[in-house]
Amino acid sequence: SRELFVLTYGALVAQLCKDYEKDEDVNTCLDRMGYGIGVRLIDDFLARSAVKKCRSYSETADMIAQVAFKMYLGVTPSVSCSSAAGNEFSLILDKNPLVDFVEELPAERASLCYCNILCGVIRGALEMVHLAAEVTFLQDRLKGDAVTEIGITFLRKAEDRKHKRN
Amino acid sequence: VPVSVICSPPQNYPLYIRSVPTENELKFHYTVHTSLDVVDEKISAMGKALVDQRELYLGLLYPTEDYKVYGYVTNSKVKFVMVVDSSNTALRDNEIRSMFRKLHNSYTDIMCNPFYNPGDCIHSRAFDNMVNSMMMQVC
Repeated sequence: SRELFVLTYGALVAQLCKDYEKDEDVNTCLDRMGYGIGVRLIDDFLARSAVKKCRSYSETADMIAQVAFKMYLGVTPSVSCSSAAGNEFSLILDKNPLVDFVEELPAERASLCYCNILCGVIRGALEMVHLAAEVTFLQDRLKGDAVTEIGITFLRKAEDRKHKRN
Repeated sequence: VPVSVICSPPQNYPLYIRSVPTENELKFHYTVHTSLDVVDEKISAMGKALVDQRELYLGLLYPTEDYKVYGYVTNSKVKFVMVVDSSNTALRDNEIRSMFRKLHNSYTDIMCNPFYNPGDCIHSRAFDNMVNSMMMQVC
């Protein structure tokens, strides 16, 4: 049923493109939808994978790449840490099942992040385990880059932020 | 050796036309257009639709002047027409069949693209590359 899933996602993106004129609006919408999925998916993930609590950001990033992506999309992106502070990571996907049938973005949609829903999912899931993060696409094969790269930047923990405000 | 490829949905307007070499293109368009009538004839003559690869391939439609025209229709009534130079006797039936099968596969890939609306003209680079390589093989 993977083809059905991929075709459904494609239909979703195509419909959003018809509903919204600007690419940024479509991207925001996808991210919001992904967020809604992520906050719910995290419980399913934790229940099915029974992993222990991650003790560092790099463990978390590895967990996302090797367990979560494998479980839900069947691919394992490679993780690399891209900052000295240890809070920025990038996941490099060489195979992305969501774009199996999409050859290239249509000319009028050049800045569309086709898989932006993934960013929202990761962001939502992390938030539910009290890790605030910014997730964006750094490179996208559909836009002509060599690989598809998702960047995760872990922000200070939500409790820390509240503490600092006081 | 000119080869021309065209597909057209039930309303019989072309989604994609390519010919090599590009002079006399209008003549090929005309040839292909008239052959569409023959295709329609064959389809109606077939009676009950048979979902068999062999039935999809219509074979040699009719030899005209110095060209041979082959046809192929999908279950969704999309017609593929190929015009080949008669002097190219090296082309066997099996090869024509496999070319049509490749065309059909590429066509289904295009259909799966969420940004493609059925009935649009085909502007896909992958499709162009596939057709080009096929025509190079024939020439």
